[in-house]
Amino acid sequence: MYVIIVGAGKLGYKLAESFSHVNNNVVIVDTDNGALQRVSNHIDLLTVKANGVKLSVLEELGVKNADLLISVTSSDETNMLICTTAKKLGCKRVIARIRNPEYGNQMDFVKNKLEIDYIANPELETAKEITKYLLKGDAIHMEDFARGKVVMADFRVNSLNNMKGKKLKELEISKPVLIVAISRDGEMIIPHGDTELTQRDIIYVIGEKENINTFSKFWGAPVERKHVKKAMILGGGKAGFYLARKLIASGVSVKIIERNKERCKYLVEELNNALVIQGDATDQQLILDENISDMDALILLTGYDEENLLLSLLGKKYGVSKVIAKVSRPNYIPIIEQLGIDVAINPIMITAGGILRYVQGGKVESISMLLGGQAEVLEIIAPNNSKVIGVPLSKLELPKGIIIGAIVDNGKVTIPNGNSIINPGNRLVVFCLQSEISSLDKYFYRTKGGLLDELQKSFKGLRKSASI
Amino acid sequence: MNYRRVLKVLGSLLLFEALTLIPPLAISIYHNQHDRQAFLYTIAIILAFSIPMSLLPQKSNRIKAKEALSIVTLGWLLVAFFGSLPFVFSGSIPSVIDAFFETVSGLTTTGATIIEDIEVLPRGILFWRSFTHWIGGMGILVLTLAILPTIGVGGFQIFKAESPGPISDKLVPKMKDTAKILYSAYLGITVIQTVMLYFGGLSLYEALVHTFGTVGTGGFSTRNASIGAFNYSSYIIMVISFFMIASGVNFSLYYEMYKGRWRNVLKNSEFRAYMSIIFISVLLITVNLNGLYSSVFETFKHSLFQVASIITTTGYTTADFDQWNSFSKAILFTLMFVGGCAGSTGGSIKVIRLVILFKLVKREIKKILHPNAYVPIQINKKMVSNDVVASITSFFFLYLVIFAVGTLLISLEGVGFITASSAVAATLGNIGPGFEMVGPTMTYSHFSIPSKLLLSLMMLFGRLELFTIFVMLMPNFWINE
Repeated sequence: MYVIIVGAGKLGYKLAESFSHVNNNVVIVDTDNGALQRVSNHIDLLTVKANGVKLSVLEELGVKNADLLISVTSSDETNMLICTTAKKLGCKRVIARIRNPEYGNQMDFVKNKLEIDYIANPELETAKEITKYLLKGDAIHMEDFARGKVVMADFRVNSLNNMKGKKLKELEISKPVLIVAISRDGEMIIPHGDTELTQRDIIYVIGEKENINTFSKFWGAPVERKHVKKAMILGGGKAGFYLARKLIASGVSVKIIERNKERCKYLVEELNNALVIQGDATDQQLILDENISDMDALILLTGYDEENLLLSLLGKKYGVSKVIAKVSRPNYIPIIEQLGIDVAINPIMITAGGILRYVQGGKVESISMLLGGQAEVLEIIAPNNSKVIGVPLSKLELPKGIIIGAIVDNGKVTIPNGNSIINPGNRLVVFCLQSEISSLDKYFYRTKGGLLDELQKSFKGLRKSASI
Repeated sequence: MNYRRVLKVLGSLLLFEALTLIPPLAISIYHNQHDRQAFLYTIAIILAFSIPMSLLPQKSNRIKAKEALSIVTLGWLLVAFFGSLPFVFSGSIPSVIDAFFETVSGLTTTGATIIEDIEVLPRGILFWRSFTHWIGGMGILVLTLAILPTIGVGGFQIFKAESPGPISDKLVPKMKDTAKILYSAYLGITVIQTVMLYFGGLSLYEALVHTFGTVGTGGFSTRNASIGAFNYSSYIIMVISFFMIASGVNFSLYYEMYKGRWRNVLKNSEFRAYMSIIFISVLLITVNLNGLYSSVFETFKHSLFQVASIITTTGYTTADFDQWNSFSKAILFTLMFVGGCAGSTGGSIKVIRLVILFKLVKREIKKILHPNAYVPIQINKKMVSNDVVASITSFFFLYLVIFAVGTLLISLEGVGFITASSAVAATLGNIGPGFEMVGPTMTYSHFSIPSKLLLSLMMLFGRLELFTIFVMLMPNFWINE
């Protein structure tokens, strides 16, 4: 696939990284040399210093042969213009980042008339993700796969009874669940039976939802469902706006604290029933006056990661049961786990995940990224003739970084062991380290194999790249 | 540093070298000459080292700048060492140091030789000697990149460290495909020249050997008189001149031609400067040498050939230019510091660097008149960033420093100043012949062992563009920070 990415910011970088792993040719366009340098030093792709909105630039890049163009510059209007131009020039699919709520009501028009295939709105997606978590009312953070049949939950070892210091094989697990990964000090570890758990660890567990609940009850994790009735949002930017609107629509009473007066005015006009308070979110007295300790949820959506992280600590201190912070920089993710925040939401990861899901279409059903993209959990429908079909897993010799967490066969969930066999059409929940993403292709999608096929493919690749 | 990864890539690289020893082996078997054992032993030794190395289990396959630099420098040293074994085993060059010098000279496409009488050597050995030019010309690691399964991101670092020129850019998104395109162009030029020389009356064997020497801008021949042995045929001399010039052009321009973007080729500032330098030098030398040869065409032919040979750093000769007027010799000596274009197989400083340096000087002059003028440095209508300009000025400075220090050290031999300085200029610039005692009719065999090692180092410095090796010589490269 030939992919053009316009804009080498945080999202552009993440997308470039995700796309260049597979058999794709990726070109990234930006006007800033420094940003391009950063990308080309870490990712195998072509960087072009140019303004992507110029027709001549798009033509020179061979946009008419491109399979996908993603425009993620800082301006919505530029993104729309680039996408529409690219589409008219013959690009197969175009994706634009459009984040301004003002355009929110005309998305259908943008999609149909401007012919933009997919619109990525990081703030809206962030708000959706937070709403989902808050309204589901689960005590633990879970991610759904296979239409909710399989979930993956993460537990902090020090919040569970008697788990620390044990080896995995010593754990008593009554119902089948699988511990696929351990995150320790910001690093993903693929555990085996002798891995000893420490109190700093977070474990990722895959299984059927009831079994996960049993697991969590057995180890003394909170299971009671508590509905969120009162929420406080710090930061009334775009994400705050979207979130407030969604929560209000579901009957939650919302309090927003926003610094900018103009912005407060806008929020009041656009949102019904929200209490908007103008003030500095870092002003502790103000938050106390607004009864932070009464809140069921505190959501930190200011523009600064640092502020969000510090304020979330404050929230925990005043006993708010659910604290969610928006953290955009992946560098902070390793520290976050040690801070005791319930959920750190990274808009970049969520948006990139959404785009990947859209692009992969049939092949991958859902993707979620963990720990700043160090690992991905994918839902794949096993195709006919691929390497994984019909062989016991122990014979398959999957790389260490790829784990099949669950197999769903006609609605029946199996937590696989070495003897499990995958049939065509099974839904697989696959855990995969970032470094092994490229091997996924080999095991799950490619049908033929061998040197000849490899050579043939490489010549095809050459011709394809020569046509750029 | 990820030593396992470095060892593994080096293992694959050596496996590759074993493969490249098969054509010379085939030739010596075909001619039933005694050197076939030498190749067989070498292949066996290489396999004994490389197979365990390439089978090393890997923890991670990340290649960072440090690993890439180690791979390139160590890779070149190892390939040169193992590549010198056939010379030693066959008895063609009994001394290990001499054989190493000859192989480094081959791989770095220098073409400086220590062999007094080439014509007595077996054919397989001579083929291997020239084949090293072809392998080293485009870069043996780039070749490995093109064929090895995904090295990925680290590949670009290796490419940057090995390919000549201040700015190495990929042509297409994937490093692997870029390497393939470059090698396709390289292979294409090789085939065309071989066919043309073959039709000029050379045997297929000699056509191939001289093509390797030309497209790799190396300079090894099968004749003691170099290309001078073919002076009877103006056709052969013109063909070789043409292909020397063609090999000094940035190979990405051939990709542009293939894509039909001729404008990009003709408007390319480096290409234009390169062609202008050749044109003016040929013109000046032809005028200066008027009357030395039988006709004006003969004079033109020899000056074109010598200019093309020196500027592209090939080192083939049709005439003993050491006997020329000093004005003509001065021009050739100056050309030794010009070299081919970036991204070509030529060595030395490279035209693009000089173009940028000239623009820098122009800017300084303009700034004296208009102190507040904003004068960006542009190449092909694109801004050259200050980082690149800084790296070019420091490269230029370092080049001159190494040249000066090298000349000082070689002077300890007691040879003349012209010999010492031109020997260093010719090895550092990967050219081959210099003046006086290292002139076109002479060899490097009379130097002492330390000098030969120093000159080998000069050749590697020149081929890998100074910094790649310099970084590795720094002690803190080896300290894990």
